[in-house]
Amino acid sequence: MALHLNLLHEEIQEQRQRQRDPLKIGMMVLGGLGALMFLYYMWNAYQALGVRSQLSKVQQTWSTVEPKVTAAQKRSAELNGIISTTKVLDGMIESRFFWAPFLEKLSRCVALNAQITSVDGTVLDDNRGVSVMIEGLAAGREPRAAAEELRQLLLEQLGQSYHEVKIEFKTLEDLDTLVKIGGANMAMARFSLNATFNPSAVVAKATPAPARSSKK
Amino acid sequence: MKNLIPNLNLSKDQIKKLALSTMGFIVLLYVYFSFFLGPLNKSHQTMQASINDLQKKVAGSKNEMAKATNLEKQASAATTRYAALTNASPEGAPIAWFPPRMKIFFSNLQIDKTTARLENSVAYKEADLSGWMRYNWMLDLPQTDFATLGKAVAELENTEPLLSINRINIHATTEDPQFQQVALTVSTAILKR
Repeated sequence: MALHLNLLHEEIQEQRQRQRDPLKIGMMVLGGLGALMFLYYMWNAYQALGVRSQLSKVQQTWSTVEPKVTAAQKRSAELNGIISTTKVLDGMIESRFFWAPFLEKLSRCVALNAQITSVDGTVLDDNRGVSVMIEGLAAGREPRAAAEELRQLLLEQLGQSYHEVKIEFKTLEDLDTLVKIGGANMAMARFSLNATFNPSAVVAKATPAPARSSKK
Repeated sequence: MKNLIPNLNLSKDQIKKLALSTMGFIVLLYVYFSFFLGPLNKSHQTMQASINDLQKKVAGSKNEMAKATNLEKQASAATTRYAALTNASPEGAPIAWFPPRMKIFFSNLQIDKTTARLENSVAYKEADLSGWMRYNWMLDLPQTDFATLGKAVAELENTEPLLSINRINIHATTEDPQFQQVALTVSTAILKR
């Protein structure tokens, strides 16, 4: 067997040792990883730049839209306020009691032998109805019957338009004085009627009173 | 690998270097994630959230504007009505314009010498009427006949929608029973100016 001498053994060994230097390998791995991480970072940064430009576009859109939206919201609030206020005012207007139709009915009920001297009407609070005090004089052979006739007629007339109509005599007294009607002397009676009714169930419309003159 | 590890035969110095490299690697990772990638991702997420938020707002604003346009159409009747009602309240203190207005109104219907006195004024309890005041007035009609009064009351109720007669008092005059003295207690809703 031929002797084989490797005179470069030590140098080769040193070279191998240098190549297997863990610090060098570590630095290379570290460098490689660093490069990958840098690339990944750059990719993310690029995406972030895209998102930033998208954000600036959206912000621009919003800055143009925002004043319009604010104005629209303000206008909506204003309109809602107007609608609700108008609704409340309309409710008040609709729930009013109209006196003109009542006066018209009253004038229709007064016959030739009766005279009303005073009317005192009040709309009660909280829609509790209307109260009217009517004072007057009635004449005839039976003046009390004439007054009762007026009460009945008024009850009938008011009952056509209003609810819960009550008409009661507060006072009804004969008078000593006589009055001449159609050439005949008639006895007189003074009456006082208290009428209460509820108009809310039936809404009466205000209409001008008729042209005929009353007996008052 | 198995062959590689036994052949490594790491010296003390090499082990130190390896440990240093590992530490360097950990530090690199920490710095990378804490000071570079982390903040970048955070800002990315923040911007994305802002975009989503703004896009929602923009979409919502379109709805809002559409609603306002629809409301404008729907409320046209109400706004016209409201304008008519507010026009019934002229500028200035009501005590200055309401009595002359009533005087003219009744004189046009042949009822002269009408006087209007302010009884009181109160604010409405309803929140919707915070801009309105209720004024209570006493109207004295010293001489009128019943038919004229009836027409005047009907005209008043028809032409003054914000006015309501709360009390009516009619008395025959002692001198001439054909005529009556009338007192009306009325309330009006008047816009605060």
